[in-house]
Amino acid sequence: MFQMTCIAAPMSYKGSNTTMVDISQEYSKIDTSYAITAKDSLGIRLYQAKGEGYKLNGDEFYYLRRLHRINAIESQANLWLFTSAGIVNVKKNNRNNNQAYVSPTVQADYETRRIYMMGSYQLFRVANDNFDTSKFKAGFSFYKTSYEETQPWFILELSHFNTINKKIEVIPTLRLINKALYFEAGVSTEGDPKLHLMYTF
Amino acid sequence: MKKILYFLLLFLSFTSYSATQRIELMGMVCAFCAQGIEKNLQDIEGVSNVYINLDNYFVVIESKNTAGISNEKIRNIIIDAGYDVNKIEIISESVEDIRKKYEKK
Repeated sequence: MFQMTCIAAPMSYKGSNTTMVDISQEYSKIDTSYAITAKDSLGIRLYQAKGEGYKLNGDEFYYLRRLHRINAIESQANLWLFTSAGIVNVKKNNRNNNQAYVSPTVQADYETRRIYMMGSYQLFRVANDNFDTSKFKAGFSFYKTSYEETQPWFILELSHFNTINKKIEVIPTLRLINKALYFEAGVSTEGDPKLHLMYTF
Repeated sequence: MKKILYFLLLFLSFTSYSATQRIELMGMVCAFCAQGIEKNLQDIEGVSNVYINLDNYFVVIESKNTAGISNEKIRNIIIDAGYDVNKIEIISESVEDIRKKYEKK
């Protein structure tokens, strides 16, 4: 099992830096980006992944564009496009090769003070392998909090990874948000623990 | 002596005067969103205090400038943070008054 980045609001305000770390048994990543405008962000990402006999080790640059946002008084909806370009080392049995790739991801999300929903699809093809990823997240906040307090959320994530994992993985997750700090911890129904940390400054 | 005291009091009353503006926002649904708004508003020259109210979707800023910060500047800063402005108004209460009023609830 591995997964690329798809989170609540993958970039923050103009001039901000966002750093993210993902850790799980089969996937780890460090990622940092800079928001050059309120709609555009540039970043780099290093990741390692393994599953179903595959081992991937990749470095990539990415450009994130907020294609559309609808701000309402009590809600926010977004459409995002990630475009990644990099080199990944793919190991499978006796195969061991480096491949250059370009990978687009489309993400749509909707959020209120109590409800969150997100869907994404990543097109990730390397040579003859299809690692496309689709993901859906939905959840709710246990209660409203003031700006100074930490807000807890329950998020249920459904993920499907072509080639790497043929099953649809279900991941119940606890999310905590405190201003610039964003933390998620969950365990998949297959027993794989997952941590996600994001910090903006 | 009385005249000196009078002018001193008048001077102090002017120097301690500030403006408070209440900004109603659209799209500010979480603290992660709001921290960008807070940071950008705090960086405006003359702004001395900022209060974020997520439950009621507004921000209050206090500035040393008696006329407050221009609406255009506030709008641009909010838009740069990724959000929209619904309404901006000057109010008579201070940021601390507003904070106490809503934090009590």
